[in-house]
Amino acid sequence: MRLFIFAIGGTGSRVLKSLVMLSAAGVKPLDEDGRPIPNVELVPIIIDPHKSNEDLKRTEQMLTEYCTIREKIYGREVNGDGFFGTKISTLRSIMGMTATTINDTFIFNMEAVGQTKFRQFISYDTMDEPNQALTSLLFADYQLENKMNIGFVGSPNIGSVALNMIKDSEEFKAFANVFGEGDRIFFISSIFGGTGAAGFPILVKNIRQAQNLDVSNKNFLRQAPIGGLTVLPYFNLNNSQGKSIDKADFVVKTQSALQYYNETLTGDADRNVNAIFYLGDQTSSIPYDYDPGNIRDQHNPAHLVEMVGAMAALKFAGMADRQFLDGMGGFLPTKAFEYGLDKDLLDVDFTTFGQETRHLIYRPMVKFHMLFIYMRTALKAIIGQGYTQDEPKIRSEFTTTQFYRTLVDQFFDFYTEWLTEMHQNLRHVELFNVGENNLSNIIHNVVTKKGFFGRKSVDENTFNSEMNKLSRDNKKYSDRTVEYKLLDLFNQAAGNILDEKYENIN
Amino acid sequence: MDKKGIYLITGIVVTVLFWIFRVEVYEGLYQAPGYSDAMYNTGIYGIVGIISAAMAWGAAAIFYYAINSVRFARWWHWLSILAIVSILAPIVCYCVNSSIFNSENYSYAAEMVSFEGVNMIFTAVLYVVASYSIRWWSSNCRHTPFPQ
Repeated sequence: MRLFIFAIGGTGSRVLKSLVMLSAAGVKPLDEDGRPIPNVELVPIIIDPHKSNEDLKRTEQMLTEYCTIREKIYGREVNGDGFFGTKISTLRSIMGMTATTINDTFIFNMEAVGQTKFRQFISYDTMDEPNQALTSLLFADYQLENKMNIGFVGSPNIGSVALNMIKDSEEFKAFANVFGEGDRIFFISSIFGGTGAAGFPILVKNIRQAQNLDVSNKNFLRQAPIGGLTVLPYFNLNNSQGKSIDKADFVVKTQSALQYYNETLTGDADRNVNAIFYLGDQTSSIPYDYDPGNIRDQHNPAHLVEMVGAMAALKFAGMADRQFLDGMGGFLPTKAFEYGLDKDLLDVDFTTFGQETRHLIYRPMVKFHMLFIYMRTALKAIIGQGYTQDEPKIRSEFTTTQFYRTLVDQFFDFYTEWLTEMHQNLRHVELFNVGENNLSNIIHNVVTKKGFFGRKSVDENTFNSEMNKLSRDNKKYSDRTVEYKLLDLFNQAAGNILDEKYENIN
Repeated sequence: MDKKGIYLITGIVVTVLFWIFRVEVYEGLYQAPGYSDAMYNTGIYGIVGIISAAMAWGAAAIFYYAINSVRFARWWHWLSILAIVSILAPIVCYCVNSSIFNSENYSYAAEMVSFEGVNMIFTAVLYVVASYSIRWWSSNCRHTPFPQ
């Protein structure tokens, strides 16, 4: 199954960033019985005219690095088990690289929007007088003068006009042509801003009205299960009073948009969206800088809401078709979800989450954090010994490969940045003791089990030893890559060590 | 049969052959008038051969399966066990040799020391043979002293 994820606006990019991190850790959609769903391929499509947006740039770079790393591990296989197990593809890559003129990127090409002011985009100057008057009623002067390369800066009325051009774009046609039976669509957007609030209903409308499009798979599109993450206000802004994005407007905008969504997307008469996930936090984040168009433009720190939002996409991917379809070719009423922590605390760790979340993320994330520490502190020292000498051999040259540098130097930099930002934000998310390299003490508020001489100790040699044992007993690596062997061995070893050495919180 | 099994059986065969031909092997490298006859007549070649082989295999087993540690898996760790067993086994053999000769009122102190020098070499060789026979199933040290 392919899950096409339209990540709209700044929040879309940030939630996608968390989804990349969870996918890197090996978090996968689970079915109703808690088993991972095989063969899920994510196809993120970022929709944001604000191309200089730092959140978008960071997310795109992480996605590219993820794909580089994954290809070395699994090649082009869709199914993967463990770290980087979920395949993430660009739209172009699933079409075949020569079959289309669209760019091989995760970002939807919005040059036509981003290059112009809104008044030019709607040809305001060539309108006749009555139409200009009507337009002036609908849009304020500052909105008409808004150059859209910084997004729609809190103006969904601009976004709803500008984003309607998407249906005529090459990218949208490519998406519609490649969309197959069994595939699904998920939207990530905020409801209190401009780009996301407008983009979500516009895109859903265009997909559900696919019969008007000149594309090959219009029936699949019309019948596709559609999910949406609607992010309610959760962050705070510095010095936003009276500006285009004013935090004082967040709640009003949210109420209006929710009313509109209810009428057009989720209402019983429409059922255009099959599952909607509402997510927000009344505890505001640390204040972000209000800086559209400036240096460090929209470089907002990662937030718990974004990580939970990423889980919504996985939850949707794991839902059975019968939860959406009535069996007679129609849709069941929209399923709506909200999220709550097990304990309403400002300091969040794994024990703060409810059972379902812990079951989904605890093991993979802990194993990934162990991998992060091991790769940075222990791998070089073990090369030439133990499992590294089994076929395929891990030689010292491995640490100069593109895979190693991308994973250890670049991706893990993003990973630590993500963890640190979530920790420094409000709520404080402290899943791990960041900066702690003592493997016995890396999981916040989780200790190792008691042994005969006190708490059990875990260090890099615990992992080396477990990997040596697994490698000795495992013949399956001889026709796999070094990268696969290393990460698969580590994944198994970390799982065993987690079970044997650490207190169980699941 | 795979490579590991062949190595194990070869090692056992070499060790058994060493013991069967212990007199020829030991006297091939060291012979002393009177002393060699006394060794043969008292059956000490057999005892020394068994002690040396058992200690060499025992040391290898300890290294590969009892210690079997990531921290103690480098070639120099293996070499240090070789050095220890190559010294310990001749000392034990010397004590046994000396005890039997004393009971027989033989006096070959200098010859016994020279003989144990030769026995040291055989113990080292047997340790190498034992290492190559059993290391394959060790989780942490199977690539010590050389990669498989």
